[in-house]
Amino acid sequence: MEEKGRIGIPRALMFYRYFPLWKVFFEELGWRVIVSDGLGKRGNLIYFEDSCLPMKLLITHSMDLKEKVNYLFVPRLVSLHRHNIMCPKFRGAPDIVRLATDGSISILDETIDNRTKEDSMSRSFLKTSKRLGADDKEGKRAFQKAEQFFLNFQKGWEKRINGFTSKQLFQIDVPIPEEEKERPLRVAFVGHPYNLYDTDVNKDILSFARSLGMRIITPEGLSEKEIDSQVSDLSKEIYWSSGREIVGSLFHFLSGGVDGVVFLTSFKCGIDALLQEFIRRRLKVRGGASIPFLVLTLDEHSGREGLTTRLEAFKDVMEEMKKAPNPKHQNPNKFQ
Amino acid sequence: MKVTFPHLGTMHIFCKAIAETSGIPYIVPPETSRRTLTLGVQNSNECICLPFKVILGNFIEALKMGADTIVMVGSGPPCRLGLYDLVQKVILEDMGLRFRWLTIPPRLTWQAIWKNYEETKELKKELSWRNILLFPYGLRMGWKKMMACETLEKLAMTIRPREVQQGETQKRLKKALSGVDEAKTLRTLHEALERGKALLQETEQDFTRVPLKIAIVGELYTVMDPHINRGVEQKLGELGAEVTRTSWFSTHILRSLRKNKADQNSERIRFFEASKAYLGYDVGAECNLSIGEAIVRSQEGYDGVVHLMPFACMPETTASGILTRVGKDWDIPILTLILDEQEIEGRIQTLLEAFVEMLQWKRKAA
Repeated sequence: MEEKGRIGIPRALMFYRYFPLWKVFFEELGWRVIVSDGLGKRGNLIYFEDSCLPMKLLITHSMDLKEKVNYLFVPRLVSLHRHNIMCPKFRGAPDIVRLATDGSISILDETIDNRTKEDSMSRSFLKTSKRLGADDKEGKRAFQKAEQFFLNFQKGWEKRINGFTSKQLFQIDVPIPEEEKERPLRVAFVGHPYNLYDTDVNKDILSFARSLGMRIITPEGLSEKEIDSQVSDLSKEIYWSSGREIVGSLFHFLSGGVDGVVFLTSFKCGIDALLQEFIRRRLKVRGGASIPFLVLTLDEHSGREGLTTRLEAFKDVMEEMKKAPNPKHQNPNKFQ
Repeated sequence: MKVTFPHLGTMHIFCKAIAETSGIPYIVPPETSRRTLTLGVQNSNECICLPFKVILGNFIEALKMGADTIVMVGSGPPCRLGLYDLVQKVILEDMGLRFRWLTIPPRLTWQAIWKNYEETKELKKELSWRNILLFPYGLRMGWKKMMACETLEKLAMTIRPREVQQGETQKRLKKALSGVDEAKTLRTLHEALERGKALLQETEQDFTRVPLKIAIVGELYTVMDPHINRGVEQKLGELGAEVTRTSWFSTHILRSLRKNKADQNSERIRFFEASKAYLGYDVGAECNLSIGEAIVRSQEGYDGVVHLMPFACMPETTASGILTRVGKDWDIPILTLILDEQEIEGRIQTLLEAFVEMLQWKRKAA
């Protein structure tokens, strides 16, 4: 098919979950997808507002793309689940990008709000396809194909995350290599997808963890039910979908089945700050399994050395815990 | 049973009146102080917003004074305020404090009733019929007192920039407010209000001054509570600026009751419409209104806008980013003050002095 033009997707925020869907959708419609580069070694971050690092990265990546593409794709993600919403900052993200780029580029910013209508996602993509000059039929076909591809892609996620380096995670065309060797430690990494997989945020901590012999498990592998069962008895529902996922999966992993749990969070992330306190206190009040738990707060000043030291120490703790047949500490160990 | 509630501007007068009139024992937490803040900070983490820490501090102090039932307003998504109760309960539990918790739901939904049902059942046992029967009267009393406080505060805002003796208005306002607080019946309340008004109007004023007009916008808690914003309103007034704000306790109550649409809300709708040029969606809390109000105030000929927000507040962070652009586009100076637990009273004073001076220069040049 003839190439209609180029669509830029900033490598930030929900890119780290939905990129396969977005890519297939636009390519089906005959557009070329351009993804921004990482920050690189120079690390020139653009400060437009005083927000969390992932949000600053969205601006930086958008600025990087603005001269290279015809459209910029920054959807307005209000809600991706029936009852839950996204972080409020996501609601203003397209507007912030528009101001930062001085309106010099058209932004595809259709709203996705699954609270109002179940199929809001496909509707929003249909609108986008209309803006790109495709008719309903083409749009629908492209979305169906994209959704199918995305579901398949997610199934292979755990294999992908243990086989690839973080940089290759979203290289869709490359076949997943087999895991080279058996890794002795099973470690759950929990957090927003853009904290877990963006190497500019986490300094590629996942690759380092694998090199220390950890097999990585992520919340993506958990079913909705497993998460729900952990958070349904709270006195108030956690209404952010990401927060719900984080709390649910943390409690799930901390109740057993893994050797350690690492929680990656961004400095100034409102949701994580509040829930982190909740998780820590609740573990203390309720007690429970003694699984080592590490919280790493990341921002643009975190150095790789600091993170590796913490992770190495954490590995030692996990190994000690594994050796001891009857763990003496009934309270979970916390490292902050 | 001893009921307690958090501080928020003059809200304690409202809560106290309800409890007092309907005969429910209560404890007003000590005035928010350095100690309150320290208690809140010690028991939360650094990126949780300031209101959380202050409210937590209020509760800890009140519980240590013997209160055992916490009444807290709830709120909905997307702001963090809606989950304060979930987290604060666990924190207080972890601290070994015993308490019962009652959340007043922002909107009456089945879920809200269900979650509160158990606690309310427990409370009912301790309330006498007299308490329950007097409660509507208590609400009326509280509401009247609230309105009286707001009338006095609004009056003080216009008098402050013209006062001859600096600080005089504040002294008189304090006296007037405590008069309202002490009133026991609706009649004495009315008298107290009139007396308060007269007291404020008697302040020696210099009517030749033409004060600057400044609007305070931003997150409601930081706008309304002088302890949190370190008296920005008073400071600006004493520097010679007439201050306006649209965030009042009554505004938010009426808004959540969906009452009074024609009056207060039309102003909010106007702000909301104005913000649409910059924000294509309702971000939540006061974000859109902060932006909209700044635009509207510039059209109305205001000299400047002061934007207040707690550190790491989620909706207002978006607003502060956009407000820098609004200030340029509409040629109105905007000062954003990000507040946290640090001792920044001196810094705020300096910033405000510089801001006011700049506005005066701007006025002279025009």
